[in-house]
Amino acid sequence: MKRQRILFKCLAFLFFGLFLILTLYGGYSVATYGNRWFSSNKNPRVRAQKESVIAGDIYDRNGVLLATTDENGNRVYQASEQARRAVVHLLGDSQRNVANGVESFQTAYLYGFHSSFGELLGDFFSGTARRGDNLYLTIDSRLCQRMIESYQNHSSTSGKSGAAVVMNYLTGEILAEISLPTFDPLQVTAGVDADGEPFWNRATQSVYPPGSTFKIVTAASALKYLPELAEEEFECTGDLQLNGHTIHDYGNTVHGRLDLKEAFSVSCNNIFAALAVELTDARLRQTAENFGFNDNFLFKDMVVENSRYPVRSGRSDYEVGASGFGQSSIAASPMHMCMVAAAVGADGVMQEPILLREVQAPSGATRMTWESRVYRKAMEADIAAVMQNYMRYVVTSGTGSRAGTRSMIICGKTGTAESTLKGKPVNYGWFVGYVDDPALPFAVSILVENIDDGQGGGSTAAPIARDIFQYLMDYPERVTQ
Amino acid sequence: MSKKPGGRLTVMVMLFYFTAFLLLALRNAVWQGYALALCVPAAIWGGTHVLGKCFHIDTLLFSLTNFLCALGILILYDTNPVLAYHQVVYYGVGLVGMVICIYFMRAFRTIRHLGFVMIAVSFAFLALPLLIGRETYGAKNWIYFHGVSIQPSEFVKILLILILAWFMSRRQFIPWFLCAVGCLLFLMLQKDLGTALLYYGVSLLLFFASTANLPLTLLGLLGGGGAAVMGYRMFAHVKKRVAIWRNPWSDYENAGYQIVQSLMALASGSLLGVGLGLGSPTTIPVYETDFIFSVICEQFGLIFGVCVLLIYVAVIWRGTTIAMASRHSFQGLAAMGATMMIGLQTFIIIGGVIKLIPLTGITMPFVSSGGSSLVSNMCLTGLIQGVASLNEDDLEEDLRLTEM
Repeated sequence: MKRQRILFKCLAFLFFGLFLILTLYGGYSVATYGNRWFSSNKNPRVRAQKESVIAGDIYDRNGVLLATTDENGNRVYQASEQARRAVVHLLGDSQRNVANGVESFQTAYLYGFHSSFGELLGDFFSGTARRGDNLYLTIDSRLCQRMIESYQNHSSTSGKSGAAVVMNYLTGEILAEISLPTFDPLQVTAGVDADGEPFWNRATQSVYPPGSTFKIVTAASALKYLPELAEEEFECTGDLQLNGHTIHDYGNTVHGRLDLKEAFSVSCNNIFAALAVELTDARLRQTAENFGFNDNFLFKDMVVENSRYPVRSGRSDYEVGASGFGQSSIAASPMHMCMVAAAVGADGVMQEPILLREVQAPSGATRMTWESRVYRKAMEADIAAVMQNYMRYVVTSGTGSRAGTRSMIICGKTGTAESTLKGKPVNYGWFVGYVDDPALPFAVSILVENIDDGQGGGSTAAPIARDIFQYLMDYPERVTQ
Repeated sequence: MSKKPGGRLTVMVMLFYFTAFLLLALRNAVWQGYALALCVPAAIWGGTHVLGKCFHIDTLLFSLTNFLCALGILILYDTNPVLAYHQVVYYGVGLVGMVICIYFMRAFRTIRHLGFVMIAVSFAFLALPLLIGRETYGAKNWIYFHGVSIQPSEFVKILLILILAWFMSRRQFIPWFLCAVGCLLFLMLQKDLGTALLYYGVSLLLFFASTANLPLTLLGLLGGGGAAVMGYRMFAHVKKRVAIWRNPWSDYENAGYQIVQSLMALASGSLLGVGLGLGSPTTIPVYETDFIFSVICEQFGLIFGVCVLLIYVAVIWRGTTIAMASRHSFQGLAAMGATMMIGLQTFIIIGGVIKLIPLTGITMPFVSSGGSSLVSNMCLTGLIQGVASLNEDDLEEDLRLTEM
């Protein structure tokens, strides 16, 4: 009988363990995914609340009113069509054509689900209609407009699809985020080309092969695992053979003898493919994962599609070599590539992107203020210092020269990624970079889809980055206060 | 002399339900609401005292289960009052069933030849839905009789516990094995996966509890795992269940709808809940049975949800204590089996509702709407209470002998 008692006790503890798992799992999943589940446009509770609560206003960082609710309960956006189109992907729209815009993702604040019991009681007794919280975003809506104009003004990017992100690399604040083609939330049918997928937020929801911008990761990996290579010279013959495939350089250039910094600045695929093979797939993948590839992004303020580095083992040298310059199933969103450039600028620390600056209760009391959150440490500070030097060289005497402005210290990396879209080969132009200036600590990421033959990231995306840098210098008070 | 640790708890439980039902009664403004606000606390008080006088039952365990039953009635009254009135009737039936089970445990210290009759009855009961049942939610586990629907597998639970405990107390493993496997086969044929999992788990744990044979238990676990993998390969609906569990959002409109709505309810409730009577709990499919825990969490919040789990933990703890205090192998195993039946069922359904494990359609003990479930679970506590009263008798006997 004694043994039986001990066994009973063991079984009881087994059950306690099971119930503990229930509690921990339930708490964990609601804490991490709760807001995502709640703000889903499938949640009928939100629909019910919309009948009885007046949604709060949304402002940008300079107090520009982006969205409000009129006396009939309809959502009202800015008066100018250009202004509405510039921020529609980031903001979302009341019909929820755009997934996970602020209008839908922050439903809990906008529709007063965070109101306290006291506020509920006050509204109940005063008889006034309940109001949701007002949101103050980190973005500068005028910069968003300027970026859309910049795409239109350059002949190499005019009419192209694309996306661009500007973020503060020290704090993680998102200063601007656009996606092209765009649409007007008030006239959804007008000018909407269904093939161009205008409702798709390309900055956060699409992942693209990062192309040569991924060489930031490859170079950081090489500096970490093969530091002696930084001093060595490589020979680019223009026809590196891997598993029977030939690695070509952009425009079939032959670069000759280069050191790592020069190879990085002229974006030599041959040398970076050889570097990736020497690094091995496992080590390159490790560095990529340090930069956030293959991670499940669970940012508090926005939903970002996860970036991918192939996890398959036994990849051929050709595949690994192609990974060295960002091809072969590697994919990242413009938002994530902006974070990659930002990590270099911030000495290796990657900040989580922030979109909410402040949430105010209808009474004017502060419900929530932002704080910067470190997402992860992407690389050591000494490696970041070398990378800063490399990226500066890209702009002063490499492929990124068209991003440079005379009075600012710009660092960056271009990329021209190859992919296929609906069976046809397409090229994507990339530029990621940042301003090396603690007074203007901003990183940018520019993507241009389907660029013309003979064009690259340096001739399409880099000029747009230059326009952004110019704006930052012209209006420092709009972007830093 | 018996201590009554449940006394103060009973008063707290009465207060909670008085205010909760009063709140809903003020909203609904019908006399039934006020009646419930008075009757539920009165029934809890009366039941505890009357039953406590008649037999030496464990009042703490009784208070805990009463709390859970009344919680079910409360949630049902908020979401669908008609179901709540039915539930009150079922609770009454359950009390009768519980008393019968207490008597049974006291009268038949061992069940002897009745065992074979019970096996026959169990198999017959489990075969009934296959013969005259109708398919609901993919499983054929209900019978309909003059407008009354009954789920036989709920009642076979009680018989199964008694039979298995009887065999195990006499170290008869072959009959134990045949009996458990026989029941499982019937449940497989009914496609009632949740109940099959429950029977399987309790049979195996009961085997471990009486023999302490870890290698054989692990072998049984392996066999169950193998059967699960085979079931996954063979049956399309099992595959679908697992796929929904892994990503319910992929087929939100159809198969994933239930679990997605459940998760949204959990997220809406957050820590403190939206409040009793508020929120949109009725948008969750089958909110009254399988997903009643999501409703509780939406209205009262996650913290309260954890407290409900703690109440179940207390029930398990109490049941285990009673089983440990028993001086007879059969009674101890029966009490432990009934306790584990309640505990495992709770784990399986709540695990499914919060997406920890694939969802299987079984009820939350005491809380979910439905006569079969409530009555059978109260009968299970009846088994535990019967053992508790026998323990008490044994103690008094000891006392008498020492005084003599």
